[in-house]
Amino acid sequence: MRGSRRRVGACAAMAAGRGAEAEACVGQVVLPGDVLLLPAHPDEDAERLRLGAGAAPRGRLLCGPGLRRCTAGLLVTKCGLLRHRQAGGSAAGGAYWVDSQQKRYVPVKGDHVIGIVTAKAGDVFKLDVGGSEQASLSYLAFEGATKRNRPNVQVGDLIYGQFLVANKDMEPEMVCIDSSGRSSGMGIIGQDGFLFKVSLGLIRKLLAPKCEIIQELSQLYPFELVLGMNGRIWVKAKTVQQTLIIVNILEACEYMTAEQRKQALAKLSGN
Amino acid sequence: SFIIEERSFMPCEDLLYGRMSFKGFNPEIEKLMIQMNSRCKEEEIEVDDKMEADVSDEEMARRYETLVGTIGKKFLRKRDQRVLQDEDEDEDGNNNTRPSKKAKKKFLKPQD
Repeated sequence: MRGSRRRVGACAAMAAGRGAEAEACVGQVVLPGDVLLLPAHPDEDAERLRLGAGAAPRGRLLCGPGLRRCTAGLLVTKCGLLRHRQAGGSAAGGAYWVDSQQKRYVPVKGDHVIGIVTAKAGDVFKLDVGGSEQASLSYLAFEGATKRNRPNVQVGDLIYGQFLVANKDMEPEMVCIDSSGRSSGMGIIGQDGFLFKVSLGLIRKLLAPKCEIIQELSQLYPFELVLGMNGRIWVKAKTVQQTLIIVNILEACEYMTAEQRKQALAKLSGN
Repeated sequence: SFIIEERSFMPCEDLLYGRMSFKGFNPEIEKLMIQMNSRCKEEEIEVDDKMEADVSDEEMARRYETLVGTIGKKFLRKRDQRVLQDEDEDEDGNNNTRPSKKAKKKFLKPQD
């Protein structure tokens, strides 16, 4: 009861034009144009600095997708649920972001995606990643590639890589190599298998640290899975039938509850 | 306070690595999964795996010590090689038997 009253209070405050406290809105629906006020941080004194000598300064806050900085605090630019992560661990100082749902992918630097090679233009491959423009991939961006030793990439191949450059002013560029020069799993995805598209929210759910769907599926049969942040999933199992079963489960699990999913899997493992 | 704008979901939600393999379908990917996910969670700095050496460090140091001398000898002229031989024998303690010779034969001026 107390929670719902707080929610109503926060919405009323935002409707009135004033910003609402960021902490009050965590876990609630926010709309574009809402202003979230951040608590003012006290000045750092020497004791605080001593505690976290190696960590980032305590005032640092990560403003994730769907949020922007504004004079008063954070401005919401997408509609969805506001999420918050406490300080400590990899994101020192806490993080706020908006959990929204969409099907269309917008290239973002650092994201790992599955691309389909559409053209080979001299030294550069053009990949379709599901965005507004095709991404370019240089043939030297593979592990162990030199001018003489070119990678064997044909039109129609699947490539798992990450974005090096991705902003609204330039054509996105991909690479299949990380900053230390190793491929670490990126590159051409092998033969066979099945590629299909799902919404971006499902991909994030599947990639969450403890995903029940993936854990339950892994008990069924041996298979291989590649998840791209652009909504594309590639599955390969021993037989075509097993592959198609996994594809159907992944597509349907977005709208199934946990019990329905467990029933479906129990039926399958019974077969 | 600093606010950093980030457009990717990876640092916010701590997502796992996108390539996965289960029940031994692709052993390399399974190894990669363990490596990548442990790097995410624990944030370890990459430790260089010390490969099992066939030759131990001490033996290597000993070998190098003598190696420098052996290779150096290869490039000496014949006269200097003989000199080295004499020096070795001198070190062994055979000073008494052999008369000490001059180290190098210098050019003798012809006497008028």
